[in-house]
Amino acid sequence: MSATNPSVDLHGGPTRGAWRGRIFYAALLLSLTVGFATLGTLVVQVLKKGIGVVDPVLLTNPPSADPAIAGARPAILATLYLGILLIAFTGPIGVGTAIYLEEYANRNRWYNRLLEINIQNLAAVPSIVYGILGLAFLVRGLGLGRVLLAGALILTLLVLPTVIIAAREAIRAVPGSIREGAYALGATKWQVTWRQVLPAAIPGIATGSILAVSRAIGETAPLLMIGALTYISFNPTIAGPFTALPVQIYNWTKLPNAEFKDLAAAAIVVLLAMILLLNATAIWLRNRYQKKW
Amino acid sequence: MRVTLQKELDQLESALQEEGELVLRAVRGCLGALERQDEELADEVIAFDDEVDEAYLRIEEGIQSLLARQTPVAVDLRTVLAVLHVNLHLERMADYCVTVAKLTKLVAGVPPDKTLMGAFEEMGARAEEMIRVALGSFAGRDLGRAESLVELDELIDLANRRAVQQVIAIGGDDERREWGLRMLLVSRCLERIGDHAVDIGEQTAFLVTGEFREFTDASH
Amino acid sequence: MVTMSDAETELVRMRGVDQSDLAERERHMPPPESREVVFDVSGLSVRYGSARALKDVSIRVYKNFVTAFIGPSGCGKSTFIRCFNRMNDLIPTAVVEGAVHYHGQDLYGPQVDPVEVRKRIGMVFQKPNPFPKSIYDNVAFGPRVLGMTDDLDERVERALAQAALWDEAKDRLKASALSLSGGQQQRLCIARCLAVEPDVLLMDEPASALDPIATTRIEDLMHDLKRDYTIVIVTHNMQQAARIADMTAFFSVDVSDEGKQRSGILVEYDTTPKIFTQPSDKRTEDYVTGRFG
Repeated sequence: MSATNPSVDLHGGPTRGAWRGRIFYAALLLSLTVGFATLGTLVVQVLKKGIGVVDPVLLTNPPSADPAIAGARPAILATLYLGILLIAFTGPIGVGTAIYLEEYANRNRWYNRLLEINIQNLAAVPSIVYGILGLAFLVRGLGLGRVLLAGALILTLLVLPTVIIAAREAIRAVPGSIREGAYALGATKWQVTWRQVLPAAIPGIATGSILAVSRAIGETAPLLMIGALTYISFNPTIAGPFTALPVQIYNWTKLPNAEFKDLAAAAIVVLLAMILLLNATAIWLRNRYQKKW
Repeated sequence: MRVTLQKELDQLESALQEEGELVLRAVRGCLGALERQDEELADEVIAFDDEVDEAYLRIEEGIQSLLARQTPVAVDLRTVLAVLHVNLHLERMADYCVTVAKLTKLVAGVPPDKTLMGAFEEMGARAEEMIRVALGSFAGRDLGRAESLVELDELIDLANRRAVQQVIAIGGDDERREWGLRMLLVSRCLERIGDHAVDIGEQTAFLVTGEFREFTDASH
Repeated sequence: MVTMSDAETELVRMRGVDQSDLAERERHMPPPESREVVFDVSGLSVRYGSARALKDVSIRVYKNFVTAFIGPSGCGKSTFIRCFNRMNDLIPTAVVEGAVHYHGQDLYGPQVDPVEVRKRIGMVFQKPNPFPKSIYDNVAFGPRVLGMTDDLDERVERALAQAALWDEAKDRLKASALSLSGGQQQRLCIARCLAVEPDVLLMDEPASALDPIATTRIEDLMHDLKRDYTIVIVTHNMQQAARIADMTAFFSVDVSDEGKQRSGILVEYDTTPKIFTQPSDKRTEDYVTGRFG
């Protein structure tokens, strides 16, 4: 046993930092609680009202004046189609733009810098503005009319900046050493992009796209602007009139009959379920490809 | 692992063994010249020393290059240092052979004393044996065998002392006494060759144990 | 035992010392001037914008030799080695002046395709950069992008064998390359280069991210590879250069214009034993003895 040296004291005295640390930690917990509590309350309310009403009738029947047999089938289908079209449009355009900006564009050129700034700004534009834009240029200007395709195109515009930003992040995350290694073996720029960068960035791109799409299918304002009809009893087609789930929910809540309000809650549950499914897919995709790194 | 280092170490050691072969030839040559009073052979021995010197220089350069480039440590470093010293000892042995050859030329024409020649023959045989044992124990890292060189050296030392007695006993005229003195130097050379062989044995011990020690103290 | 052979035999034996062994060792290091020149660099200068990285370098790299570039950090040796396979093309601000001739052809000639250059002159980087693919796909990438897809399996096996990785990898060719250890990954990168059958291997500090045992394996590998390839290596570890290089070039920093312009210059280029036993330039000696900070 060695003698203790009195000048060495490891116990430490009262530290100033400890208090601040604790207060900070408490503040974090508080904000977390506020966030989750709010969300939790909303979800619980909706579920309480709607879960009992979710049944095959809701899912398979067209809307009707009689709440007992009213369903949201056309709306559900339309939302599904919108989602698919969204992915089909934003995928190539968003990824293509991201590739151009990250791999090919010369940052020193003014038009490239202009492009970058615009994309950042567009991501922040309110969705109703996109609705007006769509009405003016797509529905009336191009003469598409109030059809599902127009709705899909508008939502594409709405979501595109987010997808581009997400894709750029994913592409940027691919280490430069991978590109260098590929170039050093004699690959052309195209081969490096197509065979190394894109495959490595796909998980990030897919995750970003799916998250953007899941936000878009909940958008109501732009669809209302271009006239998603309130009462549709037939299944929607791409070139035909349509209504979407958010719009259907909105309309049911406006009706005086209390049962319709319950139906609306049920429809919200369905919509939430769809979004949840999409997000879960995104997370699963991300986890599956993350271990490769 | 470290293939190049090992190859270079092996090359140095085999060069050393070859130098040893050259030295053995020089020893045999100078003794043969002495016994048969062959001046031509003596000249050959003297000229032959250039080849030993060449081998010596090449090993020196090889050591310098290896140390600079491979930075050997531990046993590798001891090996290189041992090779360095053994190289020196071998070169010195060859120089002594040259001295014997030169002395042989100086006493040409004088009839030799049979007893003394016999003694030199024996010392020469011992010396050759010691060189073989020294180089063999170095190659085999055989400490016991290296230490046996001490006993062999004593035989040469004894023979050297007897040679001195013999020269004193011979006496004789000026020419005879001059011959005797020169033969004393020959005896001394052979004895020194034996000492260098012991030194090589000490290098073997250093390589194996990491310690340098003299096998015997100076008083023997 | 003294064998009393007769004088004649003595004479013959003394004269007939076996010269062939000694000559063999001389041949181990033939004078460079008698070897084929692979790279002939004259008056090479490189700058990034206005900052001059390399000034007026002239050097000859010889076939089947390991040539090492050593020197303090910032002396431009990495910049220099990247000139040999036109990797500096990938840096927009890099400007290369002067000439680099490869087997008599100007590497920077107007008709020269960088892809062809990099096919013949491969590069291994400091930090191993395996692609996030399987071991097989890593080695096969080069041949695939260059259209050398015949007998791909054989190519992959040959490359891995040459890189001393076949035994460790042959049972897990489909496993992710990232599951290999650091030293194995670097050998994989070497195999990747070898798969396209290059003429020259450039190595930019290939072992500096590896532990001593892995480093020794790479060094032994280089010793084997130089039978078939010409190797140029940049290393900040001068003992490594001393161990493996046949020729060594010492670069240093030249400070001019009152300390405003720091550029790399070639100080001395000679056989490795000469550089490390008796360098001609005092700056070289200061560096290799460690007296130069």
